[in-house]
Amino acid sequence: MKRKFKIFRYNPEKDKRPYYKEYEIEIGEGWTVLDAINHIHWYVDGTLAFRRACRSEICGSCAMRINGKNRLACKTQIKTLGKGTIKIEPLPGLPIIKDMVVDLDPFFRNLEKVKPYFIKYSPLPEKEQLQTPQEREIINEAAMCILCGACTTSCPSFWANPDYLGPAALLKAYRFIFDSRDEGGKERLEIINDRNGLWRCHAIFNCTEACPKNINITYYIKKLQNLAVNNQF
Amino acid sequence: MLKPKWFYPSYKKDVGEWAWILHRLGGLALIFYLFLHIFVTNRLAAGPEAFNATMKALSTPVFKFLEWGLWGVILFHAFNGIRLVLVDFAGASKYQKLLFWIAFVLFLALWIPAAWKFFL
Ligand code: HEM
Ligand code: SF4
Ligand code: FES
Repeated sequence: MKRKFKIFRYNPEKDKRPYYKEYEIEIGEGWTVLDAINHIHWYVDGTLAFRRACRSEICGSCAMRINGKNRLACKTQIKTLGKGTIKIEPLPGLPIIKDMVVDLDPFFRNLEKVKPYFIKYSPLPEKEQLQTPQEREIINEAAMCILCGACTTSCPSFWANPDYLGPAALLKAYRFIFDSRDEGGKERLEIINDRNGLWRCHAIFNCTEACPKNINITYYIKKLQNLAVNNQF
Repeated sequence: MLKPKWFYPSYKKDVGEWAWILHRLGGLALIFYLFLHIFVTNRLAAGPEAFNATMKALSTPVFKFLEWGLWGVILFHAFNGIRLVLVDFAGASKYQKLLFWIAFVLFLALWIPAAWKFFL
């Protein structure tokens, strides 16, 4: 079956401004969008730039905007995208380096701010530190994040203000603050309880709609807001 | 590097983003109305004639229509506001779409039939 792709193109060395280029290719049964753009890159137009690595929904490199919405190219089956031309664009809200390759520095800088690692001040235990199933349940979904950036770059609050920590960083903060073994909760809460933190979430739900791991990110941001409010009274 | 934009109108909008856009535009409209309301009420200070003249100007069909629109803005902002409070404080994120449609139906149910009150 033939399918048309309308792909965002921008080469900083040649193009004054970005444009869209159409490609029509024969696609196979069960192809994902990543299969299609790989095919274009290998056999039709080698100048097309995009990131990918695992092609199995786990590395997070292939997040891009497909038919208007942020998704993983390797997770998106072409047959779920209806009949028309498939539009492919880079993630919104980040500087564009070339075609679908965006500068992820602002994203990772925000992640770094929330101290995305275990913090332990008391002496380390002799053995591995266990959690009860109930303790694990609280962070189970939040710990599934693969840091693809689809959520943060779908958020209008982040578009308007790239200093806003954004859903991915806040979700990471939740993942550690609510981890029974972590001891950095208080300092993290102080960092995210900031004018560029928690309070820029207006429950728009674009992050939750975009997340390829179906994490209800908004739910966890609201849990953090509740924690911050209750801590102050 | 190409600079990012501050808003992407072409981003695919689900109910959450529509609700946010309407809520914000409504909030701004309500603030605008608040100032108008203060101004109109303040005409009382200019005496009964001036106030009556202002009130007469505000009884034209155009203002009746705007008032009906204002009632719609209030209803949407209030019902969606309750949805947002439930999302904020009651962990209702999982039900946000259902809550939106409940809010939307309540908004229409109190807005559309109210038209006769404003126009008759
Ligand atoms: C019926 C009672 C009302 C309820 C339940 C309500 C609820 C809310 C809520 C929950 C928000 C936060 C939205 C967000 O986080 O983005 C909000 C925002 C806002 N409200 Fe109301 N509100 C009410 C009445 C009013 C009135 C009377 C005015 C104006 C005089 C007003 C003006 C605004 C404005 C300007 C915003 C900011 C818009 C935004 O952040 O998107 N609201 N309202
Ligand atoms: S929360 Fe979901 S959308 Fe956001 S970075 Fe993690 S996997 Fe990607
Ligand atoms: S290529 Fe790794 S997530 Fe898509």
